[in-house]
Amino acid sequence: MAKKTQVSPALTAFGFAGLLVVLLPVVALLSRVPWSNLAAQLTSESSINAIRVSLVTSILAALISVVLGVPLAWYLARGPAAITKWLRPIVISPLVMPPTVAGLALLTLMGRNGLLGKFIYEQTGWAMPFTMAAVVLTGVFVGMPFLVLVVEAVFRQLPIELEEAAQTLGANPSKVFWRISFPLARGGVISGLVLAWARALGEFGATLTFAGSLPGVTRTLPMEVYVAMEVDPASAYSISAMLVVIAITVVFLLRSNLIKAFNGK
Amino acid sequence: MKKAIVAATGLLLALTGCSSATEASGVSNSVTETTITVFAASSLTETFTEIGKQFEAANPGTNVTFSFAASSTLAEQILAGAPADVFASASEKSMDAAVAQISKSSVFTSNRVVVAFPADKPLSAVTDLNNPAIKWVQCDRQVPCGTAADAALESDGISGTPVSLEPDVKSVTGKLIALEVDAAIIYATDAKSAGSEFRSIEFSNSEKATTRYPIGVTLNANTKAQVFVDFVFSEAGQKVLLDAGFGLPS
Repeated sequence: MAKKTQVSPALTAFGFAGLLVVLLPVVALLSRVPWSNLAAQLTSESSINAIRVSLVTSILAALISVVLGVPLAWYLARGPAAITKWLRPIVISPLVMPPTVAGLALLTLMGRNGLLGKFIYEQTGWAMPFTMAAVVLTGVFVGMPFLVLVVEAVFRQLPIELEEAAQTLGANPSKVFWRISFPLARGGVISGLVLAWARALGEFGATLTFAGSLPGVTRTLPMEVYVAMEVDPASAYSISAMLVVIAITVVFLLRSNLIKAFNGK
Repeated sequence: MKKAIVAATGLLLALTGCSSATEASGVSNSVTETTITVFAASSLTETFTEIGKQFEAANPGTNVTFSFAASSTLAEQILAGAPADVFASASEKSMDAAVAQISKSSVFTSNRVVVAFPADKPLSAVTDLNNPAIKWVQCDRQVPCGTAADAALESDGISGTPVSLEPDVKSVTGKLIALEVDAAIIYATDAKSAGSEFRSIEFSNSEKATTRYPIGVTLNANTKAQVFVDFVFSEAGQKVLLDAGFGLPS
């Protein structure tokens, strides 16, 4: 039987402190939830509206992130280093951008007076701000970089010999990708999808700046919590608890995939 | 190396403990300044920043720091124990909400909501908001500027709906300044500071459109807090407010 590695007390203490920093606020939040009244809180009109807006927009954003992000991650992993070395920081930049800045960036592109938005508005009379589409675009902007980060790492870890072997056997690049690379990277794609979805679900500042906050159209769950905080704290705690439970459940269900992704399988 | 890290961490923690203890007791000595922490509604951003500067100039050794946000948010923070010395609210409702932590409060100014729009695309009347082609925004009714907006819109018989209900008046104004909307229900003071590219029209019921601003000292405030409040009520403080477009307290 293998001998268990001994962990130093100091390491355990720091690790435990780290656990407490994350665990205790969540425990405190859950302790304020009106458990007996929870169903009523979550089925109120404003809660249902926020749930619908959040679910629809975050799932759409996650799907778009996969469709656009996986090819982008593939290019970053396999493309010429001269290009990818400056392309990568640009693609990842929304990760470190303050949310309000991200919202402003989207507004200056797609607003009525935006770089692209002005042309669209003048031609069609339609502008993106204040629409559900704006919430989805914001979700893609903040969520896709997570997916690209994870999936590129997985692609990089794929043994290139497998792809080379397939090429020598006559497979064209498309076949190599769909038959060899993508199946092997599936775990990473799934965890990237989940991360992008969770990030889009939790976005607040950028969505508020770009899309506004109208119940049933653009008011997402985080915005609903913010608005409910003063007037209806019970509702705010209930929605927060729901978001926390969703987060923990999703990470738990995908734990094996996440481990595989980070191990490069 | 390890010992150095532990020592440095210990020193850092001790320093954190020291400074918060000094602030809590409100002690000032000839080396450090007295800090007055003022929580104020976002609509007071420019005026109170100016009042703070004038106060610091008139009272050497004091340092006024501000936290500007929606009054309802600030009230919640104060109730949760945030270290504010003074609370200037844009609504009597938010001051009432925080009353458990306030020693006394009184109304120091007033403001009214107006309909603001770009000067080159003017609205002719408030009822233009009923036109579905006009995109307009207001504050959410949970915050003071939204409550006033709702009351004023109702009394003018407006049935049209905004494209967004923002959580505070600064983000409403921001949407107007970015020209993303055709009109915005904001305070007269925000309309004034938006500049000459924007104009505004009044609601017909000025009482419904008016909101009174109370200011109060918190229970654990330091001794200089009342001096700051007195300054807000003084001629100098009131002049800053009136120049910006605020109304008289009554």
